[in-house]
Order: sequence, then C-alpha cells, then structure tokens
Amino acid sequence: MVDSMIATDKTPIDIDSCFDMTTGNLDRRIFSDVDIYQRELKQIFGRAWNFMCHESQLSKPGSFLMNYIGEDEVIVVRDRKRQINVLLNTCPHRGNTVCRAELGTTKSFFCSYHGWNYDLDGRLIAIPGEDKFYRNKIDKTEWGLTTAAKVESYRGFVFATLDSDAPPLNEYLGWVGKLGIDFTQVDGDIEFLDGIHKNRVQCNWKIAVDNLYDWYHVNVSHGSAMKVGFLNEAAMAPMHQMVMLGEYGHGIGGPGITEAQQAEFDARLVTGNGERQWYDPSARHRTKAEVREQLGPVGTRSFGHPNIFPNLWVGLTRQICLRIPRGPLETELWWFSYQPKALSEEARKSSIFTQNHLLGPAGILEQDDGENWSHSTRGAIGTHSKSLPLNISMGLRQDRVMNDPSGQSRIETVVNEHGQRWTYKSWQEWMTAANWHDLIANHSTPPTGEV
Amino acid sequence: MSSYQQLSTQERMLLKFEVEEFLFYEAELLDSRRFDEWLNLLADDIHYWMPIRRTTQAKEIELEFTKPGGMAFFDDDRNTLTMRVERLSVGRAWAEDPPSRTRRLITNLKIINVEGDKITVHNNFELYRTRLNSEEDTWIGRREDVLRRIEGGGFLLAQRHIFLEQTVILSQNMSSLF
Repeated sequence: MVDSMIATDKTPIDIDSCFDMTTGNLDRRIFSDVDIYQRELKQIFGRAWNFMCHESQLSKPGSFLMNYIGEDEVIVVRDRKRQINVLLNTCPHRGNTVCRAELGTTKSFFCSYHGWNYDLDGRLIAIPGEDKFYRNKIDKTEWGLTTAAKVESYRGFVFATLDSDAPPLNEYLGWVGKLGIDFTQVDGDIEFLDGIHKNRVQCNWKIAVDNLYDWYHVNVSHGSAMKVGFLNEAAMAPMHQMVMLGEYGHGIGGPGITEAQQAEFDARLVTGNGERQWYDPSARHRTKAEVREQLGPVGTRSFGHPNIFPNLWVGLTRQICLRIPRGPLETELWWFSYQPKALSEEARKSSIFTQNHLLGPAGILEQDDGENWSHSTRGAIGTHSKSLPLNISMGLRQDRVMNDPSGQSRIETVVNEHGQRWTYKSWQEWMTAANWHDLIANHSTPPTGEV
Repeated sequence: MSSYQQLSTQERMLLKFEVEEFLFYEAELLDSRRFDEWLNLLADDIHYWMPIRRTTQAKEIELEFTKPGGMAFFDDDRNTLTMRVERLSVGRAWAEDPPSRTRRLITNLKIINVEGDKITVHNNFELYRTRLNSEEDTWIGRREDVLRRIEGGGFLLAQRHIFLEQTVILSQNMSSLF
C-alpha cells in the first residue's frame, strides 16, 4: 500500500554514482538539479581559480571590468600601485552593488545607496556621517569590500579564487593548464581587444564545457557552415586527435599532427615551402626554438583546445570563452578576443573577420550550438527522461596514454570522449571533497596505461 | 545637392513615402522567408554592422558601443550575408530548422540626409521571433540605413548599422536578419 503522506519525492542524489567511469554512463540530473547546482557554486566556483581577465584589459590605474565567480559579481580593478584586485561587488552596509558598469575607469567605488566609498583595493575610505551619525563608533578597517582570497596571473591571464586554501595558481594549472594558455602566445605577446560577445543560452554550463572536447558534433551540428564554405571540412574533421589530461579537471582535447606529419612539415620549411598548413596560422611559428621549448615536444604537435577547469575554453581563433552559470538551466557565454601585438594590419583584419563571423550569438558556426545545447539540457528535465543515463562511452578502453620523457603524457587517437569523461570524473571529486585539503590529498592523478 | 531640409514639404512627403515602401517591402521579404529576393535588394558594397553594446558609467558613455573595425556581432558584406542566407537552404542549419516565425515592425522613420543618389534614413525596429512550441525573442533597436536610388526607380540598401538595446544578448543565437 502506498503511503498517503507526500512529504517529498526528493531523494538525495549520490554524486559518486552520477558518473560511472567503467561504462561511461552519466546521470542526466547533474544538468538540471537545483541542489547539485547550488553545491557547484559553493564547491567548484567558490574554490576554483576563476578566470577574470587579461592584464591588457586593465591598462591604467582605476581601469576595471565586471566579471563573475559563479553567480557572485566581482569587480576586477587595477589600483594605483598597478596591482590587480578582485572585489566582491556588494557593499557591506546593505548589500548594494558599488559598481554597475561592465567596464570603465574610476577613482573609487562609491555606493549609490548611502555613499560609503571604497578605494581601488577595496578599503573603506569614507562613510557619510561617520562622526555625527555613527559617533565615530565604526571601525572602517573592518568594513571594506570583500576581496578574493588570492589573485594571481599566468602569462597575463588573471585568475582569482575565493578560497584561501587553494594551491598557488601555477600548481592549480599544472602543465596541462599552463600549456593550454601557452598556445595563446605562440605568435608572441598578446593584447585583448575591446568588446566581449556576450549571450545567454538555456543550457547547463557543463553541457557547454562537454562540447569543447566534442569533435564528433562538428559535421552534424555545423553542417550548414561547412556546406556554404565557411569552414574547411577537412580541417574541422581531423582524424588525428590529441588529448592531454591534467589534475583538477583540466584537459586539452583537439586536433594535432602526428610525429611523421611534423617531420614532413619541418622538412618543407627547410626547403622554403612551409606555408601555412591546416587552419592554424600559428603552425609556422611552432618551428621557432623558443615556441617549441615553451610548448614541449608533444605540445608542439597539438593545436590546443583546452578547458581550464571549470569553465574557461581556450579556442582556436584567438578567442577564449568563459561559461558563466546562470542557474542550472542557463549559461552566459563570454567570448574574449585577442591578437598578437606584432601583427600586420592585413593579418589583424583577417583575424578580426574570423572572430566576428565564426562564433558568438550571430556566428555562422556557433548559431547552431545554442539550439543543441538547450535541447540537451531539456532532456535532463522530464521526469522520465532524467532517469535515463547518457552515453559518454566513445573510445572507452580503446586507447592508451603514451608517455614522453618530457612528462607530456597524451592520448593520440581518433575522435573520442576521453576529455568529457575526465571532466565528469573530476567534477565528482570537486563535488565530494570536503575542502581544498581533501581535494589536494585525494584527487585523481591523470590516467596512465589503457583509458 | 539639395539636402533633405531644403526640399519642399511635398518633395519630402514623396521621398518618405518611397523610402517607407522600400523598407516595408524589405521587412516583408524577411518575414516571409523570401531571403533570396532580399539579397537582391542589397548593394554590392553594402556594410551591415551591429556593434557590441556595453553598460557604462554616464561619464564614459562614449564607451557604450564598440568601434567600427573592431569586435561586433555583425560586420558583414554582401558575401557574408549571402553565406548567411545560403546556409538556411543547404540543410543542418539547426538554429533555423524548423524555421523561426518572425515579424518586423519598422517605425519612427526619419530621413536624415539626401546627397545625390544616397538617402540616409534612421528608423526604429522591433524584431519578434518565436520558435517551436514556446520560445520567444524580442530585439528592439535603431537602424542607420543608407539607401541608394537606382536607375529606373527603386533603391538598394547600401548600409545598415544596427544598434540594439541589449548588451548581453538574451537569446541563444541571432540567426535572424535585422
């Protein structure tokens, strides 16, 4: 007999059983469940090193831009000592925001509610009525804006964490995360361009992350862009894939060239026929000794395509995409674009052409992604649908991790889902770790041998 | 050359009527998915541009839009606009398959200048899109159009600069033409 009491139909979801590494089965509820989402905000975004901006975006003291850590608004600002600070955009008095512009320059952050005023490092510098109304009984040093626990940068990429127990950024990124960023600078120093394409897609943020490792969807999702000649079909469906997996969920998954192809390419350069090959304009520059040294023997053969866990995708078009969660069923996509500083006017224009036409909400390629991602998210909502597992099994136990004396272990194979599996497995570890100490002690090291 | 203000009232009314007829016809072609016919209305050197808009402090309002030549949602010529249209008929253009239902309201027409065969006209628009069962998007904004009068009557669209009111685009894509 059925119990007539309907207290709740909510049975807690066991994170450990949400993803089965041995079968590749994934519980769809991770894309729609509100409690899981809340825990992600706390345990993933609240602990991780989150990408804030590139140093070139904050050119002078007082330059700021707004960003998010999870759903918390933060101000990223350069102070008078040229230090970059990350401040929680909420006044300790009544919670009001102290900055409403997406970008700009300011001398201080002035709360529009009662006029509390904060310096560029978050210190509270003035309270109206401090003597007459507060009778000098308030300690301003205790009521500044909350600052991120740590702000550090790697090659100009500024990251912040709200958790003081987080390991240093260098350690967090590890060789895979750092290599992922190194790819942005194979043509020398870069600067970010003015203007971030921003739009909202009704999808869970992890569906967007999953997609960056997905070289299986290109022909189908982006079939129309290929048919009209906007994408080179051969370049976008490369058979040779290189996957590098790093600690804490970082990964690089995308096209690469084999050792034989690299040797052939090098030989052609010697004879002077080494013009651009594939679709990567930086390929030529990888013959430079300093670039090879930076990327390493294996990295040199990869075209990159990393996710810096949790949500920073370094794309192939001199663009990076931040996937900012807006509830379990919505994600804001921010496309930042950059250019090498030393670039001819013609090359600069051609690069901007690609950046404006390929991706972003009106991008001839990316228009169709939103449609698929939002409908995949819907598949995690229906009462019956969400009880059915998703299949993340492509390539499972079909490949081997190859070691290299340099330490750059990688999988070289065909289109696969190794990157996605690594993401979901790492996600489980972040979601079950009690704190950073636990995560540092108990996180998985990247796989070796058969994967 | 006579600028718009120097024309007589009757001449201005006539010109506005012609421009209105053209813009309404153009909107009708897009709403009824007659995209190939729409392409025929474009000048070979058309510049079709939608900058990115940002929220700025009042004192820095000049930062509100990205600048020409920089990052933009659309920075198209005839070639890329043709590609956008062709895309719809070759299959696998999922953002438009099933096709969206759209309706364009073109209002507040204001002719700014007439210079030879070139007519600068500003107008406001609302582009309503609905898809599938219940998806809705509304884009409202302003357009700075330049029409070019052609021999034998009629116009070609030589410039369309689109200024949306949204900063973050609240849609999963912009697969419609503005």
